[in-house]
Amino acid sequence: MAWERPPVRRAPEKGGPPQDLEEVLRWISERFRSSPSSSFRLIIIIAVLVLVIVVGFSSYYTVEPEETAVLQRFGKYIGTAGAGPHLKIPFGVDSVTKVITGRVLQREYGYHTVEPGVRSQFVEKGYEAESIMLSGDLNVVNVQWTVQYMIKDPVAYLFKLSGVELTLDDISESVMRRIVGNRYSDEVITVGRASIADQCRAEIQQIMDLYETGLQVVAVKLQNANVPNPVIPAFNEVNEAGQEKERMINDAQQAYNDKIPKAVGQARQTVSQAEGYGLERVNKSEGEAKRFLDILAEYQKAPDVTRRRMYLDSFEAMMGRIDHLYVVDEAQKNILPLLDLNKFKGQSEKAQSSQAQPKGQ
Amino acid sequence: MVPRKAKIAAAVLVVLVVMAASSFFVVSETQQVVITQLGRPVGQPITEAGLHCKVPFIQTANFFEKRIMKWDGRPDQFPTRDKKYIWVDTTARWRIKDSLLFLTRVGTLPKANSLLDGIIDSVVRDHVSDNDLVELVRSEGWEEAKQKLSEAGIPESQMLTSGFETPEQSDHLVKGREKITREMVADASRLIPEFGMELLDIRIKRINYIESVQQSVFNRMISERKRIAAQYRSEGEGERAAILGQMDRELAKLTSEAYKKSQEIRGKADAEATRIYAEAFGKDPEFFSLYKTLELYRNFSNNSSFVLSTDADVFKYLKGSGTVPRK
Repeated sequence: MAWERPPVRRAPEKGGPPQDLEEVLRWISERFRSSPSSSFRLIIIIAVLVLVIVVGFSSYYTVEPEETAVLQRFGKYIGTAGAGPHLKIPFGVDSVTKVITGRVLQREYGYHTVEPGVRSQFVEKGYEAESIMLSGDLNVVNVQWTVQYMIKDPVAYLFKLSGVELTLDDISESVMRRIVGNRYSDEVITVGRASIADQCRAEIQQIMDLYETGLQVVAVKLQNANVPNPVIPAFNEVNEAGQEKERMINDAQQAYNDKIPKAVGQARQTVSQAEGYGLERVNKSEGEAKRFLDILAEYQKAPDVTRRRMYLDSFEAMMGRIDHLYVVDEAQKNILPLLDLNKFKGQSEKAQSSQAQPKGQ
Repeated sequence: MVPRKAKIAAAVLVVLVVMAASSFFVVSETQQVVITQLGRPVGQPITEAGLHCKVPFIQTANFFEKRIMKWDGRPDQFPTRDKKYIWVDTTARWRIKDSLLFLTRVGTLPKANSLLDGIIDSVVRDHVSDNDLVELVRSEGWEEAKQKLSEAGIPESQMLTSGFETPEQSDHLVKGREKITREMVADASRLIPEFGMELLDIRIKRINYIESVQQSVFNRMISERKRIAAQYRSEGEGERAAILGQMDRELAKLTSEAYKKSQEIRGKADAEATRIYAEAFGKDPEFFSLYKTLELYRNFSNNSSFVLSTDADVFKYLKGSGTVPRK
């Protein structure tokens, strides 16, 4: 793409149309000098033109939809005008004051909206003086609220009281403090909000009517009613402690539920085991008794031989199980010292015997 | 050139305009006017809005505000009767009632404001130091506060303790804020009409503890909350201990009862067994003794050694088979 050089501005030719302000002025003054009578006429024409424009503009005004215009002729109130274009007498005879009557306006106390929006940004710092107040029980509470109002009567608004908004601020703060001062702090920071807002609205309206401010208080809204900021952590601590209490109880209950059903089962186990033992014991004894009685019955038929047989049977059984049997005649008195008893002892007892050896040898 | 006649006409016109400007004046709805002639007031004040006229040059129109105005007090620190140091910020509404009087005795709004400063500040100070703090904070209808509080249904332990030093202060209300402010207005109004002004109200806008007192109130509230928190924790621990104790008790009960029952069952079974044994063995104790002893012998364990005398019955044939037993 080729660059096209911007055209070089040439110096204006003499007599041609004037190109900058300096030249315009020079051109006009030249023309005036040339013919005084024509210049006088020009002045008249310009003056008339200016006059027409001024008259035109000052006899016409428009009122926006949300506004009401209050008309005064020579300072005296003559009426109001609604939205649209209107005519008036110019030259300061009629004066028009537009008042926004169609909007709900808002004043904030104890905080300030920095950036309105879906998530409005607020500042509280610097507004503590507005929000800190005394409750009836002489505690300190922090209340932030807004007053929404409309200018219902623009005539009264303009003519009855000077500084209506500032007066509203004074009354709003005074009324809020009166109401909070008439309640316990506990109520203010908990359930009292709605009734405080209602009462506040009614009282502000009453005073605003008394002074004929022309304001209608639409609503009072409590944004925040709490203890002062330095005390809030301590309040939260109470909530945490409450939670902690619940947790402790739950923990204990858990331990209880963990152990008791198990112990119930174990108790039943113990009882059942005992019952088992009992059954076993009785059955065993019954069995043994039966066996004994049966043997006894047979024994009684031939006691002597049975006795011997039983004796020898058991001896035989015993003999089969023992390692060594020494049969010593009564005449042999000194057999015992000759026996090497160590020989029979188990290997496990060797340590013990070796310990005893130094003494014996 | 401009004709001579036109010049004269122009001069007359200018004079007329100046005359008109000096003899007509506009009074707005918000204003009232006192006409003075060489400094001395003339006639009645004009309160009606509209176009009015006066003698030009020698009479002057003095404009005054007709609307209700606001007076804002300087926040100040006073002690109350019960020696509480507080910040009080008052506000008042007033208007110029007699503009003639106002003109002669006050003159301008700044002067009026400083006059009001002097009068209202001293009245406020008098009344604040003449009343207890509760009287300034509370107002008519305080009696209902307790009712409202009890309707709130807040547990006693959670409640903030009040800042009262004596308990009887809690229900006590002699005057209340409204009555005190009405007295303030009444006192101030004794002086103010002299200046052509009317005082409509005095309101206590803000009333707060001074910084150091406020801090101690905060500290009190904090320590109180901490006390409640500690109580909750302790209650939690107590409940836990109670539940664990109950658990231990039940555990002990369960195991001991089971033990008791098992012992009973075992004992009963043992007794039964004993009875059965006795019944059976009692039929021939001598045989039982033999029977049981021999059983015992059978059960001698392994790896044992025995030294027996030849006298033992079993060995009696070791020495000879034919001998008659000695026994």
